[in-house]
Amino acid sequence: MTADSSRSSNTDDSSEEIAAWLMRAAGAGAGSKEVVATIVAVFQDLDGALTPIIGPRGVAALFHRSLHLAVRSQPLLAAAQTGTPTTMDLNGLKMQLAAQTPAVAVAAAGVLLHTFHDLLGTLIGASLTERLLRSVWPPLLNSTPQDSKS
Amino acid sequence: MTSKVAIQRLATGVPGLDEVLGGGLPEFSFNLIAGQPGCGKTTLAHQIMFALATPERPAIYFTVLGEPPLKMLRYQQQFSFFDSEAINRSVRFINLSEDALAGDLDRAMQRIVEEVALHSPALVFVDSFRSAVLTGETNGEPPNRLQHFVQRLGMLMTSWQATTFLIGEYFDESDANPVFTFSDGLIWLRQSVQRNSMVRKIEVLKMRGQASLPGLHSFRIGGDGLEVYPPASMAIQSDGQAADGAATASPPPRLLSGVPGLDAMLGGGLPRGYSLLVAGPSGSGKSILAAAFLAEGARCGETGVIAAFEQHPNRSRIRILADLIQSGAVGLLDNRTADTSIDEVLFKLLREIRRVGASRVVIDSLSGFELTLAPTFREDFRESLSKLVSTLASVGVTTLMTSELEDRYTDLRFSPYGTAFMTDAIIVQRYIEVESRLRRVMAVVKVRSSAHSNELREYSIDGDGIHLGAMLADQEGLLGGRPTHKLAESAHQGQAS
Repeated sequence: MTADSSRSSNTDDSSEEIAAWLMRAAGAGAGSKEVVATIVAVFQDLDGALTPIIGPRGVAALFHRSLHLAVRSQPLLAAAQTGTPTTMDLNGLKMQLAAQTPAVAVAAAGVLLHTFHDLLGTLIGASLTERLLRSVWPPLLNSTPQDSKS
Repeated sequence: MTSKVAIQRLATGVPGLDEVLGGGLPEFSFNLIAGQPGCGKTTLAHQIMFALATPERPAIYFTVLGEPPLKMLRYQQQFSFFDSEAINRSVRFINLSEDALAGDLDRAMQRIVEEVALHSPALVFVDSFRSAVLTGETNGEPPNRLQHFVQRLGMLMTSWQATTFLIGEYFDESDANPVFTFSDGLIWLRQSVQRNSMVRKIEVLKMRGQASLPGLHSFRIGGDGLEVYPPASMAIQSDGQAADGAATASPPPRLLSGVPGLDAMLGGGLPRGYSLLVAGPSGSGKSILAAAFLAEGARCGETGVIAAFEQHPNRSRIRILADLIQSGAVGLLDNRTADTSIDEVLFKLLREIRRVGASRVVIDSLSGFELTLAPTFREDFRESLSKLVSTLASVGVTTLMTSELEDRYTDLRFSPYGTAFMTDAIIVQRYIEVESRLRRVMAVVKVRSSAHSNELREYSIDGDGIHLGAMLADQEGLLGGRPTHKLAESAHQGQAS
């Protein structure tokens, strides 16, 4: 197995792990509405944890970059790229995911959240990412983002 | 009844800075850290914050419009003091860029008040303050409103019992900003550039209630953050490293050199606490003599320090020296970095002397030392050398310094700097030509307040070190480099007559 395929496999595993966690968090037998509400709540928590530190523009920039990267494996997210990079506009994401089945929605959100986490890790390192997101985002803490420091 | 308030001083955690500040930072003081972009303001602030912040004494770092917080976190965590675990526990970052971008100083102040009330920090940092001021000016804030903002901030922080730091970009002191007046402490970071050389300097322009050290003090930024180099005399005073006066009052015992026969030439060894200059041309064996001096110390149970300014002693061909460093009997100050200052070298040397408890110090060589100094300090090299010698003497160590001596046979010099008078003892090494061979001779030129040999002795070097031979009594004119055979000369004269 090459390094690239190994990394891709790890990314897939982490994204699936996050998707499974989102599904559990939405509750057994949850429909699209509950699933999307859960996903949006996670992003809002993320915003709440990071905005005081890096500012709303910083969070928005990360969100937009994550969407841009995640579209490669989740083309349906392309339509979620709305708003200006100065704010984290979740409306586009919300509308796009609401039109999907719960399984497709959490799969796309899993990739997006993992991409966001990985991106933050490349910028400020794994340990600080873990420290900042610890309170809001437990499932990602087991995965290993790319660490620019180590 | 009068009872004066006792101002607690906080240790900044920045090596050397507390000495320059005059004993640390006064608690609840309102300080300004200023300087040009890239001079280390944010790094200094972070280093102080991580050193001082605890869960019981938390810190808030307000980012205004300086570098984006993501970048700041990315780069600051490269320093060893950055502790990710402290974030959101004892250190809290709060971004005020939206308020600052809107140019609303009142709103920014309100946010600061809210956060300070919520978290009761003991340490508050505002980075960068000037950007907030400029934003206000751009938005037509009258200057007195800015002054009012600073005054309010100062009052607020002091009454909230917070030690506060405003970090700002100020290019010169003539920038008449009201914050200069209101601040209790004014720390200025500078960068002095001369050709390709850059030297960082720190100046404490103001520190209310205590005597800070005036003038510019060099500092360096490394993986552990800032390291400030106060004058060596301060560093010695602050840690009580000065030599015991009683010890110097009694007749000093002599140290053995490790070269058989040389101690007799020195009058029984080198008096303890003396400085010895070993001057000679390239390849004459100065470093080998220095290694023997340290090895002899180790044999007698003494530790030493070598400040290497040329070859790396670990990779030295002098195996015994590499072994001594490896075993810990000799501490190594590897100082081949460029743009140093005398204070930096002395600071590191004294720290190493203290660390290993050294009684013997070798500086190899003064020529290399001069080259590591930033050009701006080379102009004062004689003064620097004098400071080096007197400081080492004041801590009671015995110092051997090597000096490259240019091959000159027309005049007798012991040091290229005219600094031979500063040292207590001098050994000179020379090459001479005898029968088409290059041979070496050495002599003890000076041992202050002591009788010593005046012999000019031949010596050889092999794998075991230096071996002193006899005087070349049948030769004369040795120091001219091309001696003549006295017997041959007299025979020649006899034939002629």
